Formats: sequence, structure tokens, C-alpha cells
Amino acid sequence: MAHMEPVNNKPAVSQFLQQAVLIKQGAEARVYRGRFLGKSAIIKERFQKLYRHPALDEKLTRRRTAQEVRSILRCRKAGIDAPVIYFVDYTTNCIFLEEIIDSVTVREHIASAQASGQSVEALYGLADTIGKILAKMHDEDVVHGDLTTSNILLVKGKEGRDGKLVLIDFGLSYISALPEDKGVDMYVLEKAFLSTHPNTEALFERLLKSYTASSKKAPAVIKKLDEVRLRGRKRSMVG
Amino acid sequence: MHLTQDLELFPEHSVTQLLFSDVRNCAELRKMAVEGQIPGALINPSMVLDPFQTLAAANKAVHLQKNGKMKTRSLYSEIIFSLSPTNNISEAFKRFGISDGDNAVLIVLVHNREDVLDKDDIVSNVDGQQIPADQMSTICDIAKIKKLYKVTPQEEKCGSVLDAVICRMAAKDVV
Ligand SMILES: Nc1ncnc2c1ncn2[C@@H]1O[C@H](COP(=O)(O)OP(=O)(O)OP(=O)(O)O)[C@@H](O)[C@H]1O
Ligand SMILES: [Mg+2]
Repeated sequence: MAHMEPVNNKPAVSQFLQQAVLIKQGAEARVYRGRFLGKSAIIKERFQKLYRHPALDEKLTRRRTAQEVRSILRCRKAGIDAPVIYFVDYTTNCIFLEEIIDSVTVREHIASAQASGQSVEALYGLADTIGKILAKMHDEDVVHGDLTTSNILLVKGKEGRDGKLVLIDFGLSYISALPEDKGVDMYVLEKAFLSTHPNTEALFERLLKSYTASSKKAPAVIKKLDEVRLRGRKRSMVG
Repeated sequence: MHLTQDLELFPEHSVTQLLFSDVRNCAELRKMAVEGQIPGALINPSMVLDPFQTLAAANKAVHLQKNGKMKTRSLYSEIIFSLSPTNNISEAFKRFGISDGDNAVLIVLVHNREDVLDKDDIVSNVDGQQIPADQMSTICDIAKIKKLYKVTPQEEKCGSVLDAVICRMAAKDVV
């Protein structure tokens, strides 16, 4: 195609995003819903942070984009559900992902279960599954870096069948075999879990129990988690 | 018979795919493509599971062309290269391009959305049988595809082989 001009002043992706539906404006990224090659897609755009040095910022942003891609692939290869990566644009740091249809975040699910007065026991199955999946992820040496109940999607099962969980938001992830790193990962989750969902200590205990039972390497992680908790408490005592 | 899909990211462009079986003149077609007489990528359909796979490759190639970041010499060779899970260019052509003895070919064209494509001209160059473009799943070699893209059995638990292939293509620049 000789008539195709090689350079365009405004990136095509930026123009495309103006027509996409913004579903979340975060501190580091905007998340959109749109179409990609006829399929419904989620587009995650990491934008510049003006307070950071531009060269450093570009490097960090690119690294997060690359990390997100690497960890999703690593998880999927191990049979851990994460969205399909359709396309990555490293010039605008946009990732085009499969849209997980009919999903809610685990956060929304727990919140609505609590709001409707369901007993905590009704959520034990969910906690078991989360524990199992995180143990599997850690067995692959993927440390998520931002484990929260918003970063796990729940696809409701049809006609009484079990739903499935899909991990998302791997921008802060990295590869590490160290129990310490995995322990901090679980600590981040614990903090987020208990502060987002009041009175769920028993539920989180259940999650940890399932995590521990699911991997040979888990006890070492839990040991580190205990240490990190202790450090956290000491730090807060000092003030 | 053919399939045409707009590229949402490049609204002025569309991609059209034409699939042929019982092809007897692959050597000649390859020569024509090299000489620029066929405005498209000639792809070995045994390595393509689904039209979406070639669409993803075409989208990426157009994107890289627009940004001046192609690794190969033309948009069409870039489509072939984009299909490959590795960054080895000659390997990509060997696996995803057509060879003289092949008996099937998938032709992928990138054109202006408004242009009336002269498909008859292209079809007339092929000594073979045009079949519906979405029938590539019936002629592809799944075992070979799984092997080349290194699709693991565990991976098939959380998605299709096509999902695995698309992820490999999209992620190959960072792994
Ligand atoms: N693949 C997907 N399918 C469906 N919904 C998604 C998908 N990815 C993200 N979402 C929705 O968008 C929300 C935000 O996505 P994500 O967590 O990736 O971005 P973020 O939290 O802004 O990222 P960051 O923590 O890097 O700032 C999710 O909580 C979820 O509701
Ligand atoms: Mg998030």
C-alpha cells in the first residue's frame, strides 16, 4: 500500500480512545471499554505522571506495561485465568485485553453479599478458591504486587455451576521465588481485604488456610507474613 | 467467501482475507508477491487457526508501519512476521509464509476502507479453489500450531488454543 503515509501526528490509539468508554480513571492508568477487531475489549492506558521526571516516567510506565503483559502470559501458561492480551502499543503504553464478560470484582461481590445480609459462611467457597489460585500463582513465582479484591474478577457460573476467578491488574507484578516477597503480597491483600470488607477476619483466615493447604511452599510464605505483620504493628506503635 | 474487517484503531483501513485450497501455482504466486504484483501477504493457512489470528497480525503490522517501527521491509512481510511467536525473521517466513510446493494459501490484504477492492484480479491469479475464509480451522494443523507456539496443556484449561496464540503474538516483544 504505497499511499499509506508512514507517520501520523496524533497516535491512532489516542484518537481511538476518545471514542471508547472510560470505565475507570486511576492514579496511573485509565481503563476503557471498546471494540478490537470485532471483539469487546478492555483497554488500559498508562499515562504520564507530570510530577515525575519525563525520562524516568517513560521508563517506569513502559516497565509496568511490560510487566503486566509478562505476568498475564506466565499465569495463563500455568493455567491461571487472566485476560487474553490482544495487542500492546508501547508508544502510548496501552494494553488491549479480552473483556471478561458477565464479571464483577470480588470486592463488589463480597460487598453485595454483606449488604444483603448473607452469612460469612456463604462466602467460604469463594475464599477457598482465592486461596488456591494465589498459591498457584505464587508457585509460578509471580508476585502480584497489588492484591486487592478489586483486582480479582468473579465470573458467575451459569445454572448452578461454579463460577471462575480471573486475576487482573498485574502492573506492579514481578517474578520472585522469595517467601518474603510472597508474604508481603499476602500482607497487602490482608490489609486491603480487612479494610474494604468489615468483619471479615474469619473469611480471610479461611482464605489463608486454603492458601496454606494448596502449596508445599506456602508455610514458608505464611511464616514471612507473620513477620511482616509484626513489623507493621511495631512500626505503627512507634507512630 | 472472503472476510473483511475494519481496523478500529486505523479507521481508514480494512483487512480482507481470501482463502484458497487445491492451489497448484504457489511458486508463481510467491514470485508475484516478491515482485509486488500481489498487494497482500501470502500466508500458509496450516498455521492459522482463525481469521482473528491474521487480523491481530495485520493490526500490529499497520501500527508498526505508522510508527516507523517495522522490523521487515514491507507491511506484508510485517504481517507474516507478526504471526510468529519469535523474533527470528527467516524462521517466521519459513513457518508462516508459503513455500513453492504448498497447496493452500491465505491472502491477507490491507486496503483503504472506501476502496472497492479488485478481488477478482487477485482471485484470477490463483490456480486453485476459493473457499470461505473462516474455514481455515478445518485446514490448519493444530498439532503443529501448538508445538510452534508452545501451548501448554495447562493453558488450554483457561482458554482456547487461539487465546494462547494471540497472547504469544502480543507478548513476543517483552518475553
Ligand atoms: N479484562 C477485564 N474485563 C472486565 N473488566 C475489567 C478488565 N480489566 C479491568 N476491568 C475492570 O476495570 C477495573 C480497573 O482495572 P485495573 O484494576 O486493571 O486498573 P487500575 O486499578 O486502574 O490499575 P492500576 O492499579 O495500575 O492503577 C477493574 O477493577 C475491573 O472492574
Ligand atoms: Mg485495579
